[in-house]
Amino acid sequence: MPAAAPALALRSLSKTVPGGRRLFDGLDLAVAPGEVVAIMGESGVGKSTLLNLIAGLDQPDGGAVEIEGAALSALDDDARTVMRRDRIGFVFQAFHILPHLTLAQNIALPLVLAHADGREALSRAEALMVEVGLGGRGGDYAAQLSGGELQRIAIARALVHRPALILADEPTGNLDPETGEKILDLFLTRVRSFGAAAVIVTHSERAAAVADRTLILSAQGLAARHGG
Amino acid sequence: MRGLRAVLLGLAVMLGAAAAPNTVAPVYPVVKAGPTLSFPRDHGAHPDYRTEWWYVTGWLKTADGQDLGFQVTFFRTRPAVDQANPSAFAPKQILFAHAALSDPKLGRLSHDQRVARQGFGLAEASTTDTNIVLDDWSLIRGKDGRYATHVAGQDFVLDLTLAPSQAPLLQGQGGYSRKGPKPEQASYYYTVPHLKVAGTAVRGGKPMKVTGEAWLDREWSSTLLDPAAVGWDWTGLNLDDGSAVTAFQVRDAGGKALWAGGSFRTPDGTLTHLGPGEVAFATDRRWKSPRTGADYPVARTLSLKLGGAVQAFKLTPLFDDQELDSRRGGGPVYWEGAVRTGGGRGYLELTGYLTPLKM
Amino acid sequence: MAADARISGQALRWMMLGEWRARPGRVVLAALAIAVGVALGFAVHLVNLSALDEFGRAIRAVNGEADLQVHATGPAGFDEGLYPKLARAPGVAAASPAVELTARIEGDGPGVLTLLGLDILRAAQATPSLLPGDLGGGVVEGQGPFDPEALRLSPAALKASGRKVGDTVTLLAGGRSARFKVVGGLPGVGDSQRVGVIDIAAAQERFGQLGRLQRIDLRLAQGASHDQVAAEVGRLIPVDAEIVTARSEARRSDSLSRAYRVNLEMLAMVALLTGGFLVYSAQSLSVTRRRSQFALARVLGLTRRALLAQLFVEGGLVGLIGAGGGILLGLGLADVALRLLGGDLGGGFFSSASRPPLAFAPGAAAVFMGLGLIVALAGSLLPAIEAGRAQPAVALKTAGDATDPRHRPSPWWGAGLLIAGALAALAPPVFDLPLFGYAAIALMLAGGVAAMPWLARAMLAPLRRIKNPPPAAALAINRLWGAPGQAAIALCGIVASTSLMVAMAVMVSSFRGSVEDWLVQVLPSDVYIRIQNAETGGLDREVQQALAATPGVARIGFRKTTVLRLSPDKPAVTLSATPVDPAHPGLSLPLLGASRSVPAGMTPVWLSEPMARIYDLHPGRTMSLPLNGGARTVFIAGVWRDYARQFGAIAIPEADYTRLTGDTRRTDAAIDLIPGASPQKVIAALRAKLPPAEAAQVEFAQPREIRAVALRIFDRSFAVTYALEAIAIIVGLTGVAATFSAQTLARTKEFGMLRHVGVLRGQVMAMLAIEGALLGLVGVAAGLSLGVAMSQVLIHVVNPQSFHWTMETKAPLGLFVGLAAALIAASAGTAVLAGRSALSSGAVRAVREDW
Repeated sequence: MPAAAPALALRSLSKTVPGGRRLFDGLDLAVAPGEVVAIMGESGVGKSTLLNLIAGLDQPDGGAVEIEGAALSALDDDARTVMRRDRIGFVFQAFHILPHLTLAQNIALPLVLAHADGREALSRAEALMVEVGLGGRGGDYAAQLSGGELQRIAIARALVHRPALILADEPTGNLDPETGEKILDLFLTRVRSFGAAAVIVTHSERAAAVADRTLILSAQGLAARHGG
Repeated sequence: MRGLRAVLLGLAVMLGAAAAPNTVAPVYPVVKAGPTLSFPRDHGAHPDYRTEWWYVTGWLKTADGQDLGFQVTFFRTRPAVDQANPSAFAPKQILFAHAALSDPKLGRLSHDQRVARQGFGLAEASTTDTNIVLDDWSLIRGKDGRYATHVAGQDFVLDLTLAPSQAPLLQGQGGYSRKGPKPEQASYYYTVPHLKVAGTAVRGGKPMKVTGEAWLDREWSSTLLDPAAVGWDWTGLNLDDGSAVTAFQVRDAGGKALWAGGSFRTPDGTLTHLGPGEVAFATDRRWKSPRTGADYPVARTLSLKLGGAVQAFKLTPLFDDQELDSRRGGGPVYWEGAVRTGGGRGYLELTGYLTPLKM
Repeated sequence: MAADARISGQALRWMMLGEWRARPGRVVLAALAIAVGVALGFAVHLVNLSALDEFGRAIRAVNGEADLQVHATGPAGFDEGLYPKLARAPGVAAASPAVELTARIEGDGPGVLTLLGLDILRAAQATPSLLPGDLGGGVVEGQGPFDPEALRLSPAALKASGRKVGDTVTLLAGGRSARFKVVGGLPGVGDSQRVGVIDIAAAQERFGQLGRLQRIDLRLAQGASHDQVAAEVGRLIPVDAEIVTARSEARRSDSLSRAYRVNLEMLAMVALLTGGFLVYSAQSLSVTRRRSQFALARVLGLTRRALLAQLFVEGGLVGLIGAGGGILLGLGLADVALRLLGGDLGGGFFSSASRPPLAFAPGAAAVFMGLGLIVALAGSLLPAIEAGRAQPAVALKTAGDATDPRHRPSPWWGAGLLIAGALAALAPPVFDLPLFGYAAIALMLAGGVAAMPWLARAMLAPLRRIKNPPPAAALAINRLWGAPGQAAIALCGIVASTSLMVAMAVMVSSFRGSVEDWLVQVLPSDVYIRIQNAETGGLDREVQQALAATPGVARIGFRKTTVLRLSPDKPAVTLSATPVDPAHPGLSLPLLGASRSVPAGMTPVWLSEPMARIYDLHPGRTMSLPLNGGARTVFIAGVWRDYARQFGAIAIPEADYTRLTGDTRRTDAAIDLIPGASPQKVIAALRAKLPPAEAAQVEFAQPREIRAVALRIFDRSFAVTYALEAIAIIVGLTGVAATFSAQTLARTKEFGMLRHVGVLRGQVMAMLAIEGALLGLVGVAAGLSLGVAMSQVLIHVVNPQSFHWTMETKAPLGLFVGLAAALIAASAGTAVLAGRSALSSGAVRAVREDW
């Protein structure tokens, strides 16, 4: 793999939803390692679908998705799953912290899924919890946390396995503006400190402001936003 | 008088126990002096008497020159059971047969037995001549006077013909032989010594021609022993010159002879009867059975008073362990073995050395 | 990289243990369902096995482990002339003749013992275990083996009679009695069999068996071929004797209770199957509830295969825990059942002489363990596949149950299975067992369950057309109509258990009703006399005349009941000489169909229904009966209904029986009283005329008592059936309750939303109650109709094929109504209870909750 390969590359990507409506056609994008890209757009324009395509959770009708130079279309479901597990981190709008696992277990889950030693994974999770400001609470459960705290856990989980790319779908959508800003700052600080690339789908102007690049998704494709 | 009789006497006595109200008890004839034995009738069975036997003992020589002792015995007993039971299975007569082989190479006896209630053609004893069948075993006297016997045991088969070379020897007073102080403690008793034996012995599945000389004792009675008796010693010797020696003693608990008797017949037929005081058994050597613990005087010196002189016969066993334990089949533990003597061979029987025989 | 696609054990443990910690009750319940099924199956199997073992031991003990045995075909025995022939047959080393009688010790109540008359000298060679330990001892003690009064009793017989050595007892056998003295024991016979040994000559003389034997035991010569000797012996024996080997005895004892045992095992399997449905319900719900969790794991890197594996491991562990517990529970149950009910579980097939010891069968334990596991895995299969198929991106966003009302359930799977079931019911028995009948029931059950989504929608469709229903009802109806798959998951347990229960209940009530009718038909007289265990004896002519002349007796009909063995590997059949009029046999026999007219010169017989089916005999044909040492050809004039003798019975006119056998003794009598006569007084008068030897063995009974006893026996033999049914229902109901509450809890968010938009709390509860009641109604309707259909398979296929008798369908309507009411109430009740707990968590929080 050439050292200069982008963390993420989309080449002439097109996708039509089951109703026959074309979401986008001939979409091109390259995200450099360590680059943070915010994607904005109106509801229903296909932002989440785009993230699913990048994660290999959905199949494009044309074009290719490449993660660190590897084309997802060349991989079967298992290999795509392993790619997700090893190279991609996720942050969701609805947090998705498993209620019956401890917080440390939730964070360590990607490592453990990749056959890491359970104890090592947990100690790494505990270390990350300090970084997201929840040090010492690894034994707690999701029910004991507020929305903002849950998202901090989610951020730790997205970073724990040192992915090349982090996908965040409206990470502040379920949080009040003040908390959302704090979380966003934390997210970007952490992502940058890990040197990971990130694609954030968001409505938040704040998010758009702090990203390296902000793109607008519309039926016409991705366009850079200027003066944001 | 012969040893395995103990089995039969035992059976007879124990069967005497039951006498129910509606049953008919057997009436046993008493043995009396002055009989007139007639042959071939008396070669056959006497079913009215309580007990009876055909007792063959002898020496065999195999084709390869080996000496063997053998014993083939058929007993008949009349238990004291209800004589009115019409069932064909009513045990009014029981037949019992025993065969043993003394092989010095084996160092102990091989033996087997058959027992059945008489009937159904499976177990029968003729009253006209010697013709006894007990399942696959038989002893039959042919028209020419020769006996044929077939016995098949677990370890051996004997198929022998026994040809008389001398007339029957009537023991006691013309066949009335006393066994105790009371006149009714007696039996009818005759002997056929010096039977010439030829036939086949199968051992280990291998048949082998054998020849030899044997001795037949025939005895029947209703009452044999005195209540004080615990056992007896008996010997019958075929001497090489054609003489025949019979000697027995009935012992009490102290080992003393309650009664003794016997006979000596020379080849010319001169017969001398011996009574108490004319027969003595001395012990030369004892052998203790490692199995039962019984202590037998297996080497004896038999002294007979013959014509005022005492004639001694040293009896030496073919080998020591000729003990027979028939307790599993309901019989006693006794010693019955081939013995040598100077100028002859025969059999010695020793009973009542472990426990007193109950009569 | 590909190797990494394997499931991570650590992740599996975390996710599974987390779930189980969160909802232990559900795991316990599913494991318990499997445990109950496995326990029942294993217990029934163990009890059967123990009983068979015991039966085999009993036969071996009485037979003394002979190499080969010749047995009389009937209690009258065969001529003793056979004995020397067999003793001399080539290859026979020893032959031991025996008189074998069923005897009772006077004053000891109804317990019987097998009385053997042996020639101990012969038995010592052929069957030494039947002898006292040491003959020598007997000689020395002066106790005679030929003593005609000597009786030796096995340890069990000594114990049961409470006698000891030295006691005098009177034995009753063959209609006679004789006194014996107990002189010793029979240690070789074992601890559980009641056997007595006397001398053969005494047995022949005292019990009227002169010239007759019932048995000859053979020991083969070393190296003799068993088959050759058997063939040779076969040529020598007369028609009233047959060769019996350990193998044929085993077959006979097996066939004795085989159908009954198989039925019980099948019932136990039904419980296990119901347990499987419960696992399915539990796993389905658990998967539905965890859809988004699985989706998250898939997004974070759990492969599809790993997810499937995880769900299988979950189901497998539940199965393993349940099955393991079931094996232990089964052992305990079997032990209790053996102690309380005996080896036939109350079926009356084995003599109640002894309680067999529990036989543990490691092989069977493994099989039942495996079955439990398979059922649990099968229950997890569909939910696991469904979970694996879900699109993670979609599933992650839609929490709870995702239903699409546009999806139309298809009736074809269900219809196909139901049709296959109907076809299987037409198939003939296999190995004399109605295996296809059971397959038909299983297929119909599967078909019924598979058709549930379609059926639920079809049944609810008319309700949707109701104009302006109350809001709660409208919500409930739309919910059920729109999510028939969800409804079906809840319903499958209820349908399975209801239909099986209904099927069994219809079968049992039909059986009981038919037996009741039949009892009325076969017991028309006022008083009945029966001599126990008198097959070889009975009342002689003189006594018969005396009884007939008793004041108060209007009419008396005598019967002789004896047994015949027609085939070495089938149980004996009953031969009944009865006063039947060949011109009007229907007057004395409950005929099925018309009776043929008897050709001149032929002796007619009428066969019981099981007899005709077991031996494949039909009216109009002839058959051969071994009677009195000869084979007699008789004409089969008709078939009659008989529920009393499962292995067959033959009715023959009394006069013909006497002519063919010369036997004028009778064992039974039916008495009509003159009007106004007191049954008690007449019975007393009749009893006074009986000879003392027989009086003790004679029983008097009135039809009312006989009917009551017969029905009591019937109920006793079905007690286990009822119990198994009840357990199946409880498992089913538990499943319904668990499913409803789980589904309701899964809809917490929906309720929260409803409360938000202004639906009253009471209306939510009403909605749930209506949903529950509707579901219960659908389930009961489906279960009832399926059950009635399955009952017809039981009545017309399973019963005739295994027990060889037919019956008329009698539906227990009262039970149906009660069952329907109980199930509907239970469904509505559980739904409401679950709803209350779902609502209590608060509407606002419910909406915000993601899981």
